[in-house]
Parts: sequence; structure tokens; C-alpha cells
Amino acid sequence: MKRSAVWFAAVYFATMAVAITFPGIRPFNTIQPYIFGIPFVFAWVLAWVGGSLVVFLFLYRAYHK
Amino acid sequence: MTSWQIVVLVVAVYLVANLVIGLLPGSRSTDTVAGYVAGDREFGTLVMYFVTGASVFSAFAFLGGPGWAFSRGAAAFYILGYGVLGMAPYFALGPWAARLGRKHGYVTQGAMLAHRFQNRWVGFTAGVISVIAIIPYVALQMRGAGIVLEQVTDGHVPLPLGAALTYGIVLIYVWRSGVMGIGWTNVFQGVLMIGIAWAFGLYIPYKLYGGIGPMFEQIAAAQPAMLTAPGLDAAGNPWTPVAYSSAVLVSSIGLMMWPHLFMKAFAAKDDATIRRTIMLFPTFQLFLLPLFLVGFAGILYSSSPVDPDAIMPHIMLTVGLPPIVVGIFCAGALAASMSTGDALIHGAASIAVTDVYSATRGDTLSQHDQRRLIRWLAIAVGVVAYALALPSGLSLVGMLLGAYGAIVQLAPPVYAAFLWRRATATGVIAGLLVGISTVGLLILMPEWKPFGLHEGLVGLAANIITLAVVSMTSRPPARDHISDWMATSRNEA
Repeated sequence: MKRSAVWFAAVYFATMAVAITFPGIRPFNTIQPYIFGIPFVFAWVLAWVGGSLVVFLFLYRAYHK
Repeated sequence: MTSWQIVVLVVAVYLVANLVIGLLPGSRSTDTVAGYVAGDREFGTLVMYFVTGASVFSAFAFLGGPGWAFSRGAAAFYILGYGVLGMAPYFALGPWAARLGRKHGYVTQGAMLAHRFQNRWVGFTAGVISVIAIIPYVALQMRGAGIVLEQVTDGHVPLPLGAALTYGIVLIYVWRSGVMGIGWTNVFQGVLMIGIAWAFGLYIPYKLYGGIGPMFEQIAAAQPAMLTAPGLDAAGNPWTPVAYSSAVLVSSIGLMMWPHLFMKAFAAKDDATIRRTIMLFPTFQLFLLPLFLVGFAGILYSSSPVDPDAIMPHIMLTVGLPPIVVGIFCAGALAASMSTGDALIHGAASIAVTDVYSATRGDTLSQHDQRRLIRWLAIAVGVVAYALALPSGLSLVGMLLGAYGAIVQLAPPVYAAFLWRRATATGVIAGLLVGISTVGLLILMPEWKPFGLHEGLVGLAANIITLAVVSMTSRPPARDHISDWMATSRNEA
């Protein structure tokens, strides 16, 4: 359980590091479509930050009840 | 009462509240170094959450974040990206360090490294680098506080007075209560920062453009380069993808190496508290969204300030808000400055005594005397930073960028301590010196930077290679000590 949670988190953050920097960000580096009025690439970075909350929650649950 | 007087009144109420909150817990910790520096290792989740969030996000985020969005557009997204990436490794490192701290009594990173590598000069080197990097950072926070007060009072409270007032109060509660004062004031300051950022960040785009969507559509029509990465550089030309990406990387690696952040592991009550704090950190981090919205709102605003970092106060003052609201905004900006500045001052003083002074003089001081010396050094750090904060000719932002390059050099020793048994004291010290020299050289000779990479990243590479090569060629460390140290760090309670 702990092992898989740690792996999952490691993969998430490694992917995030690639997805929000160049060249990984390129395919998502557009203004449209707007997400709730926010340019797409801005929403893309925000989504990775928001997603980390879920990943951390999962990781935390693997260690503590 | 004129409007600037009302603003001053609101700010005065805020400052007095800080003083009261900061002084109250003064007698609740023991008269020891662990009491003053690590709160007797009793911090719960509420305090840890706000200490971490409010210490990470400084006046640089609160004013500089909108400033970047306003003048450099999407370049600001790098600030949004690195926080969470930087925090993630601490999920493992934090509890490892905390367990060792409980067993061996460390309150700083330097003490931890000195013990791991059985060499006080490791702690000394890390300590000196930390103190030198922290002082311009404190100066920048003081300057930020002074600038905001000067602006919102139409110059009636000049920068030197504003900085002296706010940081006088910080020094009083740091003197009296140590980290306990920092903890509880940061809860108050953190709530203010988040609340004010969200309130203004959502209000301003509606007030000026009728909504977030219409605002971005207008910017997209007028200046589309502002809305896609990597945005613009400080001169208004397109920023390079390499510079953008290496800024994200160097900041991610460096974030938790900042001593005032790392050492909070030693203040946490238990492992679960540290992990819960990290788990909740993204909720704090997301307050950059409204701050950026205010900055973006400034792009097509009818007037603009001379200094882009003043965009947020500029809009607050010119959009027609009642003075009491301007005062509340000002309190939020001061909170952002003070909540980072207090932890930095306290951290630098603690390091100067436990790592630098003790390495040269040995452990000759009693707990009581060490505690007293830390207090005096906190005042000294405050005074030196204040002297640096006043002359406007000095490029503090430049110094801060250099500081980040220096702090990131602490990453190889910290990771090697936990992950590489063969690392030696000689290797670590050689790596630090080579890394720091590389950073210094590239700051002086920016045209030597390979591919436009951040100097911290180049220094990091030099540091890692040196650490590895010198460690392999020097005498291996004592096996028993390393095994014991590693076992303690990994011992899940």
C-alpha cells in the first residue's frame, strides 16, 4: 500500500515537472479553450497544483489512518 | 480624518494585534535552545500549516506575483508551478529529519549535517551560506513593507519609518517568544493574506472588466504573448523556454532547502503533522491564482505604476476603494512580508549560533546563554538587513536571485546525507565550495551561462560531481555511525 502510494506520487510529480516546463508544456500552451474564463495553459498549471492535493491525500492515507 | 489617516489607523490596529499575538506565547516554551528555536517540538497541524504557507509566500509573492503577471504575463506561472514540486520531497525528508532531531537534539539543518558527516565544518559551511543568503531576503521583505506603507499613505509614512515600525514589532515578538511567536502570528498573518488575496483577486476583474473571462478575452485580443508560456522577460522581450524551465527546476529543488523552512521539521509534534501540512499545502498555494488575476487586470488598466511590483497597491489606490478597505489590503501585504521576515530573522540567528558559532568555539555555552545569544543576533540580523533595505540603488531582487542559487547548493548535502552512505565530509564541503563559486562566477559573468541555464542549476551540477568524486577518493565514513543514523531516519513510528 505504502510502496504503491509512493510510486504513484513519484510518477505524478515527475510527470508534473515535465508537463509544466518546456518542451512538455508545448501541446497545452494555448489560450483557447478558456476554462471558467481562464486561458487554457494557466488552467493547465492550476490543474496540476489542484491534482497534487488529491495525490498528497492518497499518500497521507497510506501512512496514517 | 483624511483617508491616509484612516489607512494608518487600520494598519496600527493590525500591528498591535500582531504584537499581542506574538507576545502571548512567550512564556509557554522552556528556557532552552529547543524551546526557543523549535518550540519544544510541539507544533500541531494548524500552526504548521500557516507557518509553512505564510513563510513560503512572502512580500515577493504577494506583490511580486501580481507584478510578474502584470509586466511579464505567463512568466508568472513558473511561481505557481514550483511550490508544490518543491514541497513534495519533504513528505519523505521532513519526517526523516524530525526523527533524527528528536533523538539527537538538532534544531537546524547544519547541526544535522555536521552530525551525519561527523564534521563541524560541514555545519559551519552550510551555516555561513545560509546566513549570507538570508540577509538580502530579509532586506527585501523590509523594503516591501516600507514601500507599501509609503504608497498607501501618500508618503506620510516614508519607507524607512514604515520598515522600522513593522520590523520593530517583528523583532519584539521574535525576541520574546522565538518560534512560538512566529507560529501564532503566522496563523493570523496567513489567514489575512489568503482572505485578502481571494477577496481582491475575485473582485478586481469583475469591477474592471465585468468578469475573469471578459478580462482574459480583452488581453488575448490586445497582447496575446502575455497569456502563453514562457511570457516576457523583465525588459518586455519574449522570455526563453530554457530560462522559464530552469527557473521552475532550480526553485523546486531549492524551496525546502531554505533553512527557515527546512528547520520547521524540528518544530513539528510528529510525522503525521508534517505530512498533513504538506498534504494541505496546495490549498495555500492556490492563493496565487487571485493574486495573478489582479496582476493581469493591470495589463489593460488605465494607468500603470513606475515599478511593476507596485501594481497591486496601485490598483487598490486608484480603483476607488474606501480607505478602510485600502488599510485592510495594506495589512495583508504587511502580513505577507512579516510572516516570512520573522522566520528568516529567527532562522538566521539560530543558525549563526548553533552552526557557525559553535563550530568555531565548541559547545561551551549553556542552553540559557545560547538562547540569549540567538536573541541578540536576531536584533543584529534585523539591523544589518535594515541597512541594506534603505538605499534604493542596491538591486535586492538581484541579490535574492543570487541567494536562491546559493541555497539550492544545500540540496546535494541534504540528499546525500539521507540517500548515499559513501558521501564524506570532505566531499560535501568541496561540493558546497565549488557549487557556490560557480554560482558567484556566473552572476558576475552572465554571458558564460551555458544555454542560458539558471546559474543555480549549473552550480548544482558542479556541486554534485565534486561531491561524488571527492567522496569516492576520500576515506569512507564510519560504517556503524551511518547505519545507526540511517536506521533512525527510516524508523516509522
